[in-house]
Amino acid sequence: MNSSGLTSPNFFTEEGTKTSWMRLFRNRFLTGLCIALSVVTMVPLLSIIILVIRNGWPLISPSLFTQLTPPPGLEEGGFANAIIGTVIMVGLSLVIAAPLGILTSIYINEYAPYSRLSAVVRFVAKLMTGIPSIICGVFAFAAVVMTTHQFSSLAGGVALAILILPTILLTAEQALLGVPQAYRESSFGLGGTAFQTIFRIVLPDALPAIMTGVMLAVARAAGETAPVLFTALFSQNWIHSLMEPTASLSVLIYNFAALPYSYHVKMAWSASLVLVTLVTVINVLAQLLFSKKHR
Amino acid sequence: MSTPESIATSLEAKSSQRLEFTDDFARGEANFIKIEDFKCFYGKKQALYGINLEIPLRKVTSFIGPSGCGKSTLLRNINRMNELIPGTRHEGNISIHGTSIFDPSVEIIALRRRIGMVFQKSNPFPMSIYENVVYSLRIAGQKDRSVLDASVERSLRSAALWDEVKDRLHESALGLSGGQMQRLCIARAVACRPEILLMDEPCSALDPIATAKVEELITELKKDFTIIIVTHNLQQASRVSELTAFFYLGALVEFDNTHKIFTNPAHQQTEDYITGRFG
Amino acid sequence: MHAEPTRPHILTNFTGALDQLRSSVLMMSSLTQQNLKNAIKGLMERDDDWCNNSIADDEEIDVLEMQIDREGIEVMSRFQPVASDLREVISSIKIGANIERVADQGVNIARRARKLNEHAEVAELHLLDEPIRLSLEMFDDAVRSFAERNASLAVELKARDKTLDQMNKDFTDVMVNRMQDDSVNLPTLLNLIFISRCLERIGDHACNIAEDVVFAVNAEDIRHLAK
Repeated sequence: MNSSGLTSPNFFTEEGTKTSWMRLFRNRFLTGLCIALSVVTMVPLLSIIILVIRNGWPLISPSLFTQLTPPPGLEEGGFANAIIGTVIMVGLSLVIAAPLGILTSIYINEYAPYSRLSAVVRFVAKLMTGIPSIICGVFAFAAVVMTTHQFSSLAGGVALAILILPTILLTAEQALLGVPQAYRESSFGLGGTAFQTIFRIVLPDALPAIMTGVMLAVARAAGETAPVLFTALFSQNWIHSLMEPTASLSVLIYNFAALPYSYHVKMAWSASLVLVTLVTVINVLAQLLFSKKHR
Repeated sequence: MSTPESIATSLEAKSSQRLEFTDDFARGEANFIKIEDFKCFYGKKQALYGINLEIPLRKVTSFIGPSGCGKSTLLRNINRMNELIPGTRHEGNISIHGTSIFDPSVEIIALRRRIGMVFQKSNPFPMSIYENVVYSLRIAGQKDRSVLDASVERSLRSAALWDEVKDRLHESALGLSGGQMQRLCIARAVACRPEILLMDEPCSALDPIATAKVEELITELKKDFTIIIVTHNLQQASRVSELTAFFYLGALVEFDNTHKIFTNPAHQQTEDYITGRFG
Repeated sequence: MHAEPTRPHILTNFTGALDQLRSSVLMMSSLTQQNLKNAIKGLMERDDDWCNNSIADDEEIDVLEMQIDREGIEVMSRFQPVASDLREVISSIKIGANIERVADQGVNIARRARKLNEHAEVAELHLLDEPIRLSLEMFDDAVRSFAERNASLAVELKARDKTLDQMNKDFTDVMVNRMQDDSVNLPTLLNLIFISRCLERIGDHACNIAEDVVFAVNAEDIRHLAK
């Protein structure tokens, strides 16, 4: 380009056209802005992780995973019961929500995709994704705790199930929609029933995506506090049955962080570290294991 | 509801009965598939207007016509696949060998098993080649490994694919080339030994050599199957089929020997279409 | 039945190629008509110049025959014509061959006329007036039926060919009788017999052209039917 700003005419440019400096600048500016904002987004994420690691690491030891939570004042112990409690309640929620969500999504996508019922179910599921997690807890309190006159991990599991059910349902539906219609047509053309088509062809093909959705829902459930707060309450002891108050990592963090005892505060940090690690590991596993998607 | 075992044995019984049917077929040869005043609607829109057509046994019939003329719709109605689309309804009748396909006593599953279908875009399941071919047998309840093996070999041979894949039957079907995939779909469609083969533009996504192989295959297959092929490629229709039906805007305009249609069609519309004067 | 192609092809190349083929045939036929006229003129007016023109111009007609074959093959390979287009291409190629034969007969007449002009004139020459008129008319009508795609005109030609064949037979008989009496003019009378044969051939070829036109227009094959 010569100094007057005009491009020398070549095969691709017409004679005497000016380059648009404004256009170039706008392009560069916006690109730079996007990059900068992406970096900025990483900051809170990374700072949380760094903070949690820095504060939680000192107390990490095998005893954390084998000993019970210490009463206020004591400076030893772990939170094995909290870990087990979280695992149990998330497991319960999975047992309730996963079959329900997956089978419902099969119905609304495969059996009756255009019916009123399916439309209503979809609508309600989308509404439910926005339900505050505390409302799930309140509902489980009224439905389970008050009827059984008991705080329990069952109630906690139910609360978490309500929380993750819409997510599982909607991701499963997306996974099923992602299966090429051609597979279903071929199966029907060969004389398959709807049941055979779904369980031999559609579901296996959608399974990676469904499992990813399920694992992400699980990761979310593991970290929720409000639903388990007044359904499972807390406990300092090992778990003997599902129908008793149960400890969980999230409630532990909630309780211990507010105590005036520095040891317990440090335990809260360690529990945070364990929880974040757990959630991260589940997420990464979900990506790794089920990233083999459609061609 | 029949048990899987009885389905399997009835399939076996049917294949031995085929020899007995020959005499019946000889009597009903000319109108093996009889389409009587058939109309088809998508909601309020009428797609087919009173089609009357008799398709003979063990010959290749081609359906030609411009886009949207209803030829694929008619094809998909023969094995009642069109019913998968919501909002469709039909009037009139289609009968195969004297039995109406809409008769309440006819099980759709059984009907579709007796009619094989090959689609435009080859769509093997994301499974091994072996599993693809035996799928229709498995869903019919066949578990005997030797029967499955035999049918895999027979089907792949009749699809002219055996030699190319016999050493990798358990590899994924999605690793095949386009032409091989389409022949695999043909093998899959014939695995259950249907009577009729419906092909909806089977070669439109294939290169000339793969197309020629599939056409050669069709010429071989017509010894055992009644074949209906929908095609946009007029040269293919004239190469491969013995009878041709020309459709326009949902109506059947002309149905005659392919030779007659392509040398001296009776209707001006047919002539305009095949000589490229349409539009 | 008159069958005009109703509209042009969507591919203008296709319509153009078919039109080109048709005009080649028409050009060839009009050149042949001219050459025939020249040959007959040379015969009747005993003028060698006309005969020589006729013989020389035949070259152009031969070139056109090859051109028609080429153009026909090109249309078939490029456009894979079917139905009426296919029949038209095939007929055009065959008609080209027939016109070339007619032109050859014209050349034969011209050559014979040159030989006749070396000898004395004979009165029997004018016995050929009617066969000449009929055969030239048949050829003109055959060409016209091709140009107008007129199959019924073509069908009539078969009947006229019978008349021409009969005329040729009768003329030959008359000439054979004359030859027995008139040995001086024997070569001339012999040449006249040959010329009559040429005219009869022209009629046959005109008939062939008509049969090809009927095939192109009606998809009917009227050759070799019981007379």
